[in-house]
Amino acid sequence: MNWRLVLRQAPALRVDGRLLSPAHLRALAVDDVRRVALPSGRDRIELGEWFDVLPGEGDDDVLRIDGDLSRFDAIGGGLHQGTLHVRGDVGDAAGLGMTGGRLLIAGDARDLAGCAMRGGWLEIAGATGDLAASALPGDIDGMVGGTLVVRGRAGARLADRMRRGTVVVHGDVGDFAASRMVAGTLAIGGGCGAMPGWGMRRGSIVFAGAAPQATSTFVDVQSDAGVFWQLLARDLVRFGPPFDDLPRRRMTRLAGDLAVQGKGELLVTR
Amino acid sequence: MAALLLNGVTIDPTFAEAFPMKATRLVITAHDIAWARHAAVSATGLATSVIACGCEAGIECELGAEDTPDGRPGIAILLFAMAGKELVKQIERRVGQCVMTCPTTAVFAGLPPDAGEPVALGRNLRFFGDGWQISKVFQGVRYWRVPVMDGEFVAQESAPVVKGVGGGNLLLLADDTDAALAGAAAAVAAMRQVRGAIMPFPGGVVRSGSKVGSKYAGLIASTNDAFCPSLAALAPRSELGEGVRCVLEIVIDGLGEAAVADAMRAGIAAIVERGAHAGVRRISAGNYGGKLGPFHFHLQALAPAADGVP
Repeated sequence: MNWRLVLRQAPALRVDGRLLSPAHLRALAVDDVRRVALPSGRDRIELGEWFDVLPGEGDDDVLRIDGDLSRFDAIGGGLHQGTLHVRGDVGDAAGLGMTGGRLLIAGDARDLAGCAMRGGWLEIAGATGDLAASALPGDIDGMVGGTLVVRGRAGARLADRMRRGTVVVHGDVGDFAASRMVAGTLAIGGGCGAMPGWGMRRGSIVFAGAAPQATSTFVDVQSDAGVFWQLLARDLVRFGPPFDDLPRRRMTRLAGDLAVQGKGELLVTR
Repeated sequence: MAALLLNGVTIDPTFAEAFPMKATRLVITAHDIAWARHAAVSATGLATSVIACGCEAGIECELGAEDTPDGRPGIAILLFAMAGKELVKQIERRVGQCVMTCPTTAVFAGLPPDAGEPVALGRNLRFFGDGWQISKVFQGVRYWRVPVMDGEFVAQESAPVVKGVGGGNLLLLADDTDAALAGAAAAVAAMRQVRGAIMPFPGGVVRSGSKVGSKYAGLIASTNDAFCPSLAALAPRSELGEGVRCVLEIVIDGLGEAAVADAMRAGIAAIVERGAHAGVRRISAGNYGGKLGPFHFHLQALAPAADGVP
């Protein structure tokens, strides 16, 4: 059975929300759902303390949560199947380490959204904070698979140490976008902060909006890369404006970061 | 079973015997169709028969810019080999020497990724990049970008190999060389409209049809004496009657039994439509008594309906 959770009141402390997954809750009866204990500070508090549990509609693999969940961290953490649809804001580390399924957030997400993500689809209708699609502290790799779509703006250090997958931000991004990137694709629809691609070894950053201020460790490449550009641009069309006309745009390629491996690239469109 | 007469053309009560092969489709794109064709012609060269070429290959069709992954004009080629291992070797050799070397080209798998077992396409060719190569994954499909002197050579990492059918054939028995050539050319033109099939011999036609074995030890194939006009009065197994002075064969490989059958059907229909007065008076086929190949294409079952023939 699928469920719809409606937040009655915001918790006093931060709550680890990774147990709020469609796969975990759909097998439970309504009373069992209310008794699911979520870590909050040093305690575990039953879900029923904060949420009304209502029957959902449609597909069994969908869990809807309504309300401002900005005190709930790791919403969709470890998600591997099904759809989790949050109608409101969420806290830190939304989609932490998710490997599959879809996490749809109708509001904003705080820092570390899509952190250590390995697969699946994470879409944030609003803005997200710093270090989205990046690595957990101490980890070598950031995002290693899946797709992160941010309809609003993203903060600093977006896609830090990203290794695989696709990150698409329709709005502006902060400083050090794709810093230390190992591979993967970051597409930016708006403006970009300072030092994009700082320390990137491989990977691609597509600028569909304003041209970035590239550092001196990126060099202009004048040879033809039209085939690759068409493959990439056609793949990004599915994300809609401002990426839908990329195949028709001209592209300038800057290779770097020469301070490290230098096999990354900034793809500036016009 | 009696011979079937359609528009004066005799359809023998026999069948073409075909064999399972390993096959794949590759899409070669380039800056314009001329360069794509150069690469495709080169990559499918010396690929008429597995007897000595390693594989059989041919151009399947031209593709418009809207039908290729990179929006450029392209050409689809099909390659067939008796074993998957040999096909892998042939793909790598031919793409490496004939496609990667051709200006502006890129190469992609022409079959869906889940169509069959993936084998290396750009996976090993990437090492030509000497460490400068880079890859990119789009929706689960990896592509390699190898720096070359005109920019970069883009190749999909792998291509699926599927079960194909090789050795479908038609034998066109004609009054003379002119009639045989004209009939064969018309049949090949019709057969080339069928997707998923190729005719791997020069111009789609072979004049040195072969039988299995030889009087000489070590030769696995030798001339098809039963259909050699010069041996009509000499060879004890001759299949030729009075007036047949030229026989040409069309060999067909296809991605499936249906593709081979469709191509043979188109070829027979083209000959029948021209009529016996055009010089091709009989259509036959080569087989080994049905004991070797599991695919039997009966000519009369593929012939157009008698009442539909003008």
